[in-house]
Amino acid sequence: MESYEWMVVYTPQTGWIDGKGILVWIAEVTGGLGGGLYLVSLYFDSLWGMFLGWLIIISKCGFHFAHLGQPSKFWRLALNAKTSWLTRGFIFLTLFIVFGALQLAFTYWLPGTAAEITFKVLAGIMAFLVATYAGFVMNYVNGIPLWNSALLPLLFIVSGLLGGLAVIVAISLFGSGVDLMTSVGSLPLLLIINSLLIAIYLWSGTYMGPTGKRSVIELVKGRLSPVLWLGVTLCGIIFPLSICLYSYFIREASAPFVIMAVACVIVGIFSLNYCLLKGGLYSPLVPMS
Amino acid sequence: MVRWGMVIDLKKCIGCYSCLIACKQEHFLPPDIFWNRIVISETGQYPNVKNYVYPVLCNQCNEAICVKVCPCGASTKREDGIVKVDYEKCAGCQYCVIACPYQQRIFYDDDKKEYFPGQGLTELELIGRELSPLRPGTVVKCNFCEEKIDEGIRKGLKPGVDREANPACVNNCPTKARHFGNLDDTNSNVSILIRQRKGFQLHPEFGTEPSVYYID
Repeated sequence: MESYEWMVVYTPQTGWIDGKGILVWIAEVTGGLGGGLYLVSLYFDSLWGMFLGWLIIISKCGFHFAHLGQPSKFWRLALNAKTSWLTRGFIFLTLFIVFGALQLAFTYWLPGTAAEITFKVLAGIMAFLVATYAGFVMNYVNGIPLWNSALLPLLFIVSGLLGGLAVIVAISLFGSGVDLMTSVGSLPLLLIINSLLIAIYLWSGTYMGPTGKRSVIELVKGRLSPVLWLGVTLCGIIFPLSICLYSYFIREASAPFVIMAVACVIVGIFSLNYCLLKGGLYSPLVPMS
Repeated sequence: MVRWGMVIDLKKCIGCYSCLIACKQEHFLPPDIFWNRIVISETGQYPNVKNYVYPVLCNQCNEAICVKVCPCGASTKREDGIVKVDYEKCAGCQYCVIACPYQQRIFYDDDKKEYFPGQGLTELELIGRELSPLRPGTVVKCNFCEEKIDEGIRKGLKPGVDREANPACVNNCPTKARHFGNLDDTNSNVSILIRQRKGFQLHPEFGTEPSVYYID
């Protein structure tokens, strides 16, 4: 964008995707993935999955920390829980790390105790909030109509669960007590829900005024269309869906194919978040050229 | 009650950029940092073309979304309506930059940038770095020249009436297109202008209640 076009035409947000903003993109993906993985691991009772989810969430904190202009003041992010979703997210992350660490310790050394169950519940709630809050952070920004949608938090949690399930499938390949066919069989359902949700989200975006519509056009047939169609749709949905359905119906999962499907799901989630962040447009400030 | 606001007369504005330069001088703003901007657009096709010149700055919104989203408590609204950033408290997360629908907040991260690339900082720039409260890695924005307003009030002056207590951009406008005053006072210059000439705000649909009005 040329400087003379600033706020005269639709202006894309750049702070959270360009330059150092890439860290926010990675942090959003890791938040959904880590939270989703932890929740799915709780369901499948996979200690390795829980531990990996916990580690991914810690890495998310690192990406946020690296993005701050003044990292030494990171603790100040906790000071406005009344109105700021970033503060709430900071609190959810902190609590998840604490509860998650305690739960992992109890599960490893004292399994079956009341304390283990209590911390599983608490960490599970926090994992859900960690996977969801980025949707609320973006949804609160009414200057970017594409983001100002109630579907966004839902999209974040579903894509987080999808990513988590994909990682569990990969873990189950290495025999960690999770039934491979059960996890592979669950993946198509989440892939279909996720794709339906993306379609509804984009469709609803066209009703968010001319700026929202423009964002959707940019995604569907504009500069971001290769990412949406190749990254999100083909790589993130169609390809893994085909592999999972094939594996499920022949009742045999080939390791290379499953790993490829898992990798594609993760690429799809990265692409989806990229589209959401990059597709955010501001309305022109003055009458348009 | 006092709520400082500004009225910009689009009929008088000639897009000369005096406000922008005055602002840069007043606050020693480094390169690429603009608290005042001139946005120019054209609509229609020759020969029926209309040219718009909008001077824009932070709207000091009454319902400032930047204050609500700030996780650090660095962005606050004063009692007189001025939205300010405390650079000592800002952690540089840029949520306010993203949330401002008017794109009036800027992330300042390069304090080594010179006005004359490769020639080092000039003497004036060095003085500016010492005097300016800006901190690299934080978010900066227009503050309605709060220091001038506060100093003026301390001296018994009235912002909007006495030149010394007005923002620099208002004082330096050669066509007197900018007016400053108390929006809560129905008899102030700005309230009268808004009432008589049907003042409007940019994008009122965002519900932020900007304190900068335009008259056409």
